Amino acid sequence: MDGFIDGFGVVLEPANLLYCLIGVVIGMLIGVLPGLGPAATIAILLPITYGVPPVSAIIMLAGIFYGAQYGGTITSVLLRLPGEASSVVTVFDGFALAKQGRAGTALGIAAIGSFIGGTVSIIGLTLVAPVVAGVALDFGPPEYAALSLFGVLLVATVGNGGWLKAVIAAGVGLLLATVGRDTFTGASRFTFDSLNLADGIDFVPIAMGLFGLGEILYNLEERHHKLQTPAAVANVWPSRADLRQARGAIGRGSVIGFVLGVLPGGGATLSSLVAYAVEKRRSKQPERFGRGAVEGVAAPETANNAAATSSFIPLLTLGIPANATMALMFGALLIQGIPPGPQLVSEHPDLFWGVINSMYLGNILLLIMSIPLVGLFVKILKVRPAVLAPITVLITLLGVYTVANQVFDIFLVIVFGVLGYLMKKLGFEPGPLVLAFVLGSVMETAVRQSLLIFGGNPAGFFTRPISGTVLVALIIVLALPAVRALVRRQKERV
Amino acid sequence: MVFQLNRRVLVMAVSASVLLAGCGGVKTTSTGGEGDYPTGNIQMSVGASPGGSTDLITRAIAEGVGKELGVSVPVVNKPGANGALNAKELKAAKADGYKIAVQNASLFTITPLAVSANEAVKIDDFDLITGVSQDDYMLAAPAASGYKTIADLKKAGKNIKYGTTGVGTGAQLASALTFKTAGIAATDVPFDGGAPAMTALLGQQVDVATFQIGEGIENVKSGKLVPLAVFSAERIAFLPDVPTAKEQGYDVVVSQYRFLTAPKGTPDDVKAKLAEAAKKTFATDTYKKFNEANFLTPREVGPDEIKKILDEATAKYKAQLDQYGISLAAKK
Repeated sequence: MDGFIDGFGVVLEPANLLYCLIGVVIGMLIGVLPGLGPAATIAILLPITYGVPPVSAIIMLAGIFYGAQYGGTITSVLLRLPGEASSVVTVFDGFALAKQGRAGTALGIAAIGSFIGGTVSIIGLTLVAPVVAGVALDFGPPEYAALSLFGVLLVATVGNGGWLKAVIAAGVGLLLATVGRDTFTGASRFTFDSLNLADGIDFVPIAMGLFGLGEILYNLEERHHKLQTPAAVANVWPSRADLRQARGAIGRGSVIGFVLGVLPGGGATLSSLVAYAVEKRRSKQPERFGRGAVEGVAAPETANNAAATSSFIPLLTLGIPANATMALMFGALLIQGIPPGPQLVSEHPDLFWGVINSMYLGNILLLIMSIPLVGLFVKILKVRPAVLAPITVLITLLGVYTVANQVFDIFLVIVFGVLGYLMKKLGFEPGPLVLAFVLGSVMETAVRQSLLIFGGNPAGFFTRPISGTVLVALIIVLALPAVRALVRRQKERV
Repeated sequence: MVFQLNRRVLVMAVSASVLLAGCGGVKTTSTGGEGDYPTGNIQMSVGASPGGSTDLITRAIAEGVGKELGVSVPVVNKPGANGALNAKELKAAKADGYKIAVQNASLFTITPLAVSANEAVKIDDFDLITGVSQDDYMLAAPAASGYKTIADLKKAGKNIKYGTTGVGTGAQLASALTFKTAGIAATDVPFDGGAPAMTALLGQQVDVATFQIGEGIENVKSGKLVPLAVFSAERIAFLPDVPTAKEQGYDVVVSQYRFLTAPKGTPDDVKAKLAEAAKKTFATDTYKKFNEANFLTPREVGPDEIKKILDEATAKYKAQLDQYGISLAAKK
């Protein structure tokens, strides 16, 4: 608990307060802009964090992530234009409410739900973290091998698009992870005799290319529709009746978001969809949904914020990123020379608790900002992509050079930018690739170290309590759909 | 208004990036005759990421040399391939004394034993300016294991799993030689650097591990780890009670040396000025305290002496590896 209280000391340092504010404001801005998502923004800003102290850097990046969830709501409600994938379902009832002249109510409910969802997850994170830290030293190579395998498989199967494309993308990510000097034998793999590739491909150019440059190129191609005039916003504070109606949805949304956010491959988008579906199914009058049901806004907005926060849990406690944005956070920590893992809580308590506690503060800042500043944020949509795109490309290319002072990295960003563009165009998500790339090198090293420790006997993975449990869980998760299908077929036959 | 604000933020971000990039790539403006060196900035490059020993040493020297010569000495990190990437760039740079670097002995003596020929770097491609310091390795075990000496490991009568800080490092060479000469059955478990190796040792995933003094001394002082041996020729000041491997009867002497280098063909008077500035830096209290804080033993010797140390080490390591049939690269 000491660390928890000290963490507030860290957050309340003026510099960190400022970074938190910068983070949530940027997050809100890009949340409003369709196209440029939190993953792209964090990727582009990675090199800038390089010169910032680790705690401040992660506080800012985290702010961008959960701030974007707030921002995405605004355009969904007012313009029927979801700024973020995780706000897509909010459009149904949010825009319907706006048409009824109750845009204020929708935004107010969303802000309150987001705040509660986020806070519930932070409390969860606060409680879970020390438990994991207590067994930190029991996490050796076999445990990492099991966890990263779990991560890669879930990521490949629980993507947003089709699973086959996700598996292909993850496969490419795994292959890219093998480039470079073999840690065990010193042999060069896929380096084509280039010293630039001797250490493998760095995470930063891959992330900046796929998420940053690729995203910008893709967006340039999209047609830009004329903006509607946003609905007027009045009377932001929801009535007592609205709140009573939304109460259940906010509660369930918090739990759904928290749980799905922790799972690899889950995250904000999935949890908002699930929360919406749950509310619709539970409702006594499901026909109200899509016509301005307050629950239809409360549930997804609560869930996406809860998930955005809880997805930090596997990263900060186990060093396993749950989604693409967390993979970027992983990269940001590595740039700062801090390997994420179970030791993080005990070795860098200021960072761990500082970041967590900054989220309490960030959520309050967002709640305060989101309501009065709505009109201001909407105007940002008027910035033309023709102005925004070249500037972001320039920042990306300059930024990547500053990380290692290698011109080679600029070429890598361009190559991965083109790849990212082509992937989007052909319906592949870059997320599974980046996640598999991050987890792939962890997995390879851990598996080979484990086998050396076990004297070559793979049964060793199952005889250790933690790695054994993870592997059994993995087998159950993989077998479940098959078993369910089998049972269903049996029933049909009867 | 909002648009303006937004644009201003972007402009600020761009200029911040430009600034960052600028800090990285300061151009050296080298004009004027040979006598008046230096007339511009001297760039020191580091073949490792910020925060490591080589980086910290470079920064300490850059500060001192900059003050002595009255120019600014920007430090640029060029990590990659254990420093080979930086070495290659330095080799290709103009030999005018405006691009110099602190380099590691292991890059020339040990790494070539483990990696393919095209990645190997030769010391003859550089002019040596001065020796800098020596960084030593220790072999340690968790306190709970009960091991106190190398002989205890032999008595354990089992296959010892030892962690090292990676292929082609002094840690790997020192451990491999020790277990082979002592006739202890052992398996090499390489980790990617000191921190993961330390975690695995504290969690007892491996029985023992070898790493640099600075990486392990805190855990030794707190009693979590017991040092079994140091691999220097003589005992080191920071761990005076820990016997060397040699004292315990195993002829294993492995240390990391760092020294200041310039591209081959740098004029003698330029080298002399740099050596002089480095010498004055070494004599300052700030620098001496820096060495102590980082558990570095000064080795401020001349170029001929460094060359001798390197050549002897290379020859000896190679002979020992051949004698015992050890290969750092392939798995047994």
